[in-house]
Amino acid sequence: MYQLSAIELRDAFLKGKYSAVEIVKYYLNRISTYDNQIGAFLQVYEEKALQQAEKLDKKKQNNEKLGKLAGIPFAIKDNILIADELTTCASRFLTNYRAPYNATAIKLLLEEDAILIGKTNMDEFAMGSSTENSALQKTHNPWNLKCTPGGSSGGSAAAVAGRLCPIALGSDTGGSTRQPASFCGVVGYKPTYGRVSRYGLVAFGSSLDQIGPLAISSADVALVMEVIGRNCPHDSTSIQSGPEEYLSDFKPSMQGLKIGVPWKFLKKLADEPKKAFESGIEKAKALGAEIVEVDLDILNSSVAVYYILATAEASTNLARFDGIRYGQRSTRAHNLDEVYDFSKEEGFGPEVKRRILLGTYVLSAGYQDAYYRKAQKVRTLIIKSYQKAFSQCDLIATPVTPFAAFEIGSIKDPLQMYLEDIYSIGINLAGLPAVSFPNQLTQEGKKPLGFQLIGPQMQDRLVLNMAHILEKELPFNYAIPELVKEKTHD
Amino acid sequence: MADLNKETIKKLTQLCRIDCTEEECDAILVDLQKIVEYIEQLQEIDTTDVPPCNHVLEMVNVMRDDEVGGLLDREAFLANAPSHIGGMIKVPPVLKTQEKEV
Amino acid sequence: MTNKHNHPSHDNWEAVIGLEIHVELNTKSKLFSSAPNHFGDEPNRNITEVCTGQPGALPVLNKEAVRKAVQFGCAIQAEIAKFSKFDRKSYFYPDSPRNFQITQYDYPIVKGGTVIAEVDGVEMSFAVNRAHLEDDAGMLKHFSTFAGVDYNRAGCPLIEIVSEPCIHTAREAVAYATAVKAILQYIDVSDCNMEEGSLRVDTNISVRPKGEKGLRNKIEIKNMNSFSYMEMAIKAEIFRQIEAYEKHPHLPHETVIHHSTYRWDPEKKETVLMRRKESADDYRYFPEPDLVPIVLTDAYIDEIKQGLPELPLERERRYVRDFGLSPHQAFALTSEKRLADYFEIALKGCSNARSLSNWILVEFPGRLKDKGQDVISIGIKPEHLTSLINFIEKGKITGKIAKSVVDDMVANPGKDPSEIISANSDYQPLDDQAEIERMVDSVLASQTQSIVDFKAGRDKAFAFLVGQVMKMCKGKASPQIVNDLLKQKIEKM
Repeated sequence: MYQLSAIELRDAFLKGKYSAVEIVKYYLNRISTYDNQIGAFLQVYEEKALQQAEKLDKKKQNNEKLGKLAGIPFAIKDNILIADELTTCASRFLTNYRAPYNATAIKLLLEEDAILIGKTNMDEFAMGSSTENSALQKTHNPWNLKCTPGGSSGGSAAAVAGRLCPIALGSDTGGSTRQPASFCGVVGYKPTYGRVSRYGLVAFGSSLDQIGPLAISSADVALVMEVIGRNCPHDSTSIQSGPEEYLSDFKPSMQGLKIGVPWKFLKKLADEPKKAFESGIEKAKALGAEIVEVDLDILNSSVAVYYILATAEASTNLARFDGIRYGQRSTRAHNLDEVYDFSKEEGFGPEVKRRILLGTYVLSAGYQDAYYRKAQKVRTLIIKSYQKAFSQCDLIATPVTPFAAFEIGSIKDPLQMYLEDIYSIGINLAGLPAVSFPNQLTQEGKKPLGFQLIGPQMQDRLVLNMAHILEKELPFNYAIPELVKEKTHD
Repeated sequence: MADLNKETIKKLTQLCRIDCTEEECDAILVDLQKIVEYIEQLQEIDTTDVPPCNHVLEMVNVMRDDEVGGLLDREAFLANAPSHIGGMIKVPPVLKTQEKEV
Repeated sequence: MTNKHNHPSHDNWEAVIGLEIHVELNTKSKLFSSAPNHFGDEPNRNITEVCTGQPGALPVLNKEAVRKAVQFGCAIQAEIAKFSKFDRKSYFYPDSPRNFQITQYDYPIVKGGTVIAEVDGVEMSFAVNRAHLEDDAGMLKHFSTFAGVDYNRAGCPLIEIVSEPCIHTAREAVAYATAVKAILQYIDVSDCNMEEGSLRVDTNISVRPKGEKGLRNKIEIKNMNSFSYMEMAIKAEIFRQIEAYEKHPHLPHETVIHHSTYRWDPEKKETVLMRRKESADDYRYFPEPDLVPIVLTDAYIDEIKQGLPELPLERERRYVRDFGLSPHQAFALTSEKRLADYFEIALKGCSNARSLSNWILVEFPGRLKDKGQDVISIGIKPEHLTSLINFIEKGKITGKIAKSVVDDMVANPGKDPSEIISANSDYQPLDDQAEIERMVDSVLASQTQSIVDFKAGRDKAFAFLVGQVMKMCKGKASPQIVNDLLKQKIEKM
């Protein structure tokens, strides 16, 4: 069963091949078998998932109408609120915070009969590119346990890669679904900004955040987008249009598609990732795409712009974590000042503190013009650059990361870690839809390398459609890590 | 960056209310200096007459009707509170001189 | 302006005053949250995840709050911004659910504007700098060993109205604030209840020698929850600053008065220093990423302009023009909408507007001030006032008796004066001409000396005789008739 995509699993359920309870028991079993090595899950909803499955089976028995996601177990990144469940954001601050409401994305999943199987590990408050910043546990890459799964949605990517569940939700502010997807050999997606509601997603960079699915195939991602990609009245930045059909409107071929590649910007890529990318491009050509060169040199400044704007927004978004209304209040605090100072000191990890301080700095009097306002202006230039590029092509292709998954603990310098995001960050600054899907495995270490397709705003369907066509033709071809392969098959 | 020194870090921690230890402040200073030096590169980009980007989507006038609904149950709210009393969130006493001036 | 200590040297100084008025709009729900906008309920009952700063919660703008802000802007002939936006203002305090307020920093919805108010009988024009939307904080309740936070008020919609520093005396400040409050009441955007905190005034005050350009250090006074306290506080502060400068004529003035914030203590009836501001607070304003801008059309603005009701100034001028009231009376009545409404109902049945206005503004308040009530709150119906005035106009009761009747009306609010009069024989007018004549004869018979004095030219003696007759009839006879009878009879003597 673990080899099935989400769509295949749902169809099997609908046809009666498996009951929902069987499906859930199966994946719970895989979690208990493999997750002690992988560490993807912070919480597993054994009882609750089985209850949901039982209800679903009854619904099916009674011939009631079943949702688009019926029978599919979902893992949810732990910065997305599920009512009455703990939402920790992998932070010491929130280890006891029980969400008083459902995120819109969760509500929509539940309406379509999805089954929530647990919460996944992440970098604390989504700040990081390796999940090493989790204050609660380490997550290991199922392809190589010594390596990180990427971040910040590392738990979700590892869960899908390890087939602990077929599909997961993550969040992407600077690449946080796409980069871990690339490291873990799964598909990771960031929708057009505003396409999926941010209501119930713990805010990090408000003008950059999006919830995105991680799955085995782009078609699975498209299925979830049909459910969660729509306007939400609780989110003022939510695009004012209803859901779209993806799968039924997929075109079968890439013939005539113009793909732009910013070759100059990719000059510094190391040999192996470069060759992998180029071979992906060749495959696209073979499928009928026309490759054109586009100029995205401005993206050399994208990391700087991002770390000014995202940290500025984050410094205010995280201000609410003060131990007053919820979260861990410091027991050392004897007066109000100490409640603030000590609770934050004890509750936040070093990367979070670093970013809050940086964000405060770039907004502070005397510096705001030079940093924050300047970065906002360069953001405009980045947006314009993409717009110009899209006037010459339909989609843009780039690698996802400069290299494959690195060893846990091998990158200690924060700045070096930030530079990992060079190919993914610009997309968030421009609010564009982008998908990362597996390309091939590295020679040494057999670690996945990803391929990224980027579209203009609102072209989510086109992006996923073309990814769906190309991913099948690439060497990776839905490979599964040795570690989690079952010796006996269904 | 001559500007970014221990003093600045201390002021920043006061602004964002995080009580960092001496060692943490030292470590953060080193990291921030590197990062700020890196983001300085933006100064070389010509942004004359370029408007700042506040929103990536060109949406305006998103508003809702003046209707009451979707209340948060008080018990659910207080269930997460570190300390509460009489239906209120409980905090250490606030001296009159600590009162905010906004 | 006379200052209490009568220092002539103070006349060489002028005060520069600015007012910031925070007004809670009377929408049904809060500004960015759909929780009820309602005062006085049990703590933390009127909340959603948005106004308690739960993780993942997002603000959505209340369109009615925008409408009310625009209504106010139109009512003060301000410029309504076609483009305005929201910003985050960061500060830490327990009553702030997110530790930042959502406000409007550089693109407020209302710009400029004029408020005309009556100061000592003269119309004065005051300039408004801007008015903008922002969300209110919760409430902190202080106890001895802890404080309790109630978020019912957190997120309620406010407009902050900032005047230009164009006010120069405490009286002007009160007049301006009174006029702003009246406008807000008339267009029904707020209940303007200072006790409940739906109208809050802060003031900035500095002084300078007359003729000096530039502004000296100002201090801020907060927490004045009535206009009379505000007047006291401002007067006292102006005096204090002038005294301080005069005591230290050789010190640089930045060292004499420092930027500071004071709080008005209603018990001690004085200002108490809260904090000196060494440096400006760094609120790190930046555009709110969770909200999109407001773009308003001419059509929207015009529709609101056309829909404005009669405003206080228009009503005041109408009272002067159509009812012959003095500007002072007209301003006093129209400043409080319910009073003006009451006045117009009472006026329906009688024709003496001036007299009616005098009863409402002077006679009743004189009797009711100590009870902390006014003619409306005590329950005296406007029709009863009409009745009373008609009795006086028709000569059914004298002015003197009317005062006693009014005392009874105050003691028994809701009782019809016609009932009061018919129930008390002392209030019945004495119409019997023969009876009056008998009394006049009686007095003349016993006051022969006064007759002599009067004939000798002492008018006071005549008044004494009138007084004696009025005393005998317990004031129930018409003074005019008594006058005439006495004159007639004395002449014949």
